[in-house]
Amino acid sequence: MSVVTNFPSKKTGGANGAPVAGSRLVVEQVGKNFLGPDGGAVSAIGSVSLDVAPGEFLAIVGPSGCGKSTLLQVIAGLMMPSSGKVRLGDQDVTGEPAHMVYLFQQYSKSLLPWMTVANNVMFAFSHRLKLSGAAAQARCRDYLAMVGLADFGNHYPWQLSGGMQQRVAIARALAAEPRVLLMDEPFSSVDALTRMDLHALILDLWSQKRFTAVLVTHDVDEAIFLADRVAVLTHRPATISEVIETKLPRPRHSIETRESPAFLALRHRLLKYLLARNDGGAHG
Amino acid sequence: MTQAVLDPGARSLPRLRVSRWRDTRATGVVLVLALLALWEASARFGFVQSTNWPPFSTVMTTLVAGLGDGELLPLVLSTLWRMARGYAIGCALGVTLGFAIALYRPMRRLLLPTIELLRPIPIPAIIPPLIFLLGLGDALRLFAIAFACFFPVVLNTIAGVQSVEPVYHQVAKTFGVPRVTALRRVVFPASLPFVLAGLRTSLGIAFVVTVIAEMIVGNEGLGNYLVTMQFAMKTSEMYAGIILLTAIAYLLNRAFVAWEARAIRWARLVEAMRGEPR
Repeated sequence: MSVVTNFPSKKTGGANGAPVAGSRLVVEQVGKNFLGPDGGAVSAIGSVSLDVAPGEFLAIVGPSGCGKSTLLQVIAGLMMPSSGKVRLGDQDVTGEPAHMVYLFQQYSKSLLPWMTVANNVMFAFSHRLKLSGAAAQARCRDYLAMVGLADFGNHYPWQLSGGMQQRVAIARALAAEPRVLLMDEPFSSVDALTRMDLHALILDLWSQKRFTAVLVTHDVDEAIFLADRVAVLTHRPATISEVIETKLPRPRHSIETRESPAFLALRHRLLKYLLARNDGGAHG
Repeated sequence: MTQAVLDPGARSLPRLRVSRWRDTRATGVVLVLALLALWEASARFGFVQSTNWPPFSTVMTTLVAGLGDGELLPLVLSTLWRMARGYAIGCALGVTLGFAIALYRPMRRLLLPTIELLRPIPIPAIIPPLIFLLGLGDALRLFAIAFACFFPVVLNTIAGVQSVEPVYHQVAKTFGVPRVTALRRVVFPASLPFVLAGLRTSLGIAFVVTVIAEMIVGNEGLGNYLVTMQFAMKTSEMYAGIILLTAIAYLLNRAFVAWEARAIRWARLVEAMRGEPR
């Protein structure tokens, strides 16, 4: 595990030597328009501002089609905003994402099928770190071990189940040692039990590595269970209507936490809110 | 059929055996053998009254003798070597320009109209003018082969690059992979199924054009042998040459398909997993 523990801590600084303490993720009045079918601009994101502390776990929930993924892609630098800006630490995010990794929803498409699992993981860092073959292999093994797939390096992604593929995608994302992990509904296409398994895994890895996590989801339970704060998005054009602190104690437990009165109260409040908004959206 | 396989109960077994026989290649082989027998009989028993219609067995004897006495082998090698060079040139240009066109818009604007204009020209039609330009040597034949091979490869390569799953590009971007590395490790392998399909199409075309070019120009190779034997009324040798060409084309294609299936095994398995038709 020696390689893994080199993850930039607050003292040693990040890969660039920039202090991690400064890597607050700030989204400033970001808006995004697309070209509509009639040639006019269609607003997907109205104006969204967020301030995510280093090491925080933020969830963004909203009805489907509200522009959550668009917002996350703008934050990731995979898409440019039409207005406003995204900053990580004291750097503006313009295109090339630095220290941020995007975890895709479609694990079956985001893993490269012509590469073995090990090569997929090494793809995340081999261009950046000039490691020897053995060092790269060791680092890859460490990350695969973290997601419980130490023995699957020589398999191909399509030989694994959906849950295992998403574990590989998680290992690959973390192997890049990002300061910010952006997750686009990464647990939505696995079965319910596998999903709870992956929730526990991501919380475990997050508490070990202390990266900033931003999760986009339409699953209220998932958002409450994982996050420190839950931001609620409105219908298109998306704006943030509410930010709720969960204040649930950590470490969280797959069953007990989900049955605690505090959890249920939050769930009640958020669902009521979202369902009311859904009605409004449907009729308006 | 599927049902019978999934549920091999006692009652479905006889049915299974019958349909299995009808579904196998054996029926196709029987037809081939029947046609060869008809050929043999038509020549032996005089159904066809012609001195230019030797029985199949005589043709095969001629073929074996020709291979045995070393007359045919140099011709085969000459044809294959010519084809290999033309094919290599055409494919190398096709793949290179295909990637350039697919990846750089200025290249696309510059080259695509010319390619679209040249593509419909029937290959044999360019040979007469090329005789004036390139003479009657190997240059002409290689040019014709390369020219014919180029188009399927370039168009398939362009389609392959354009078909690359958008998420693959985003994966390379989110990890900050440099563009050249992303090309080598993502775009190239992802477009390989299309590129190989182009190479396979061109392999067949290369063989056809090689033989045509040899028939029209020069005095080397199996194509020339066919024409020579026809002029000399040596019909048995002529048919032996045709059978040899057919066998070579068949083996080349089979070898390529086998190699291709191994090279892009992942593509078939991914499609099978996603349940998409191939």
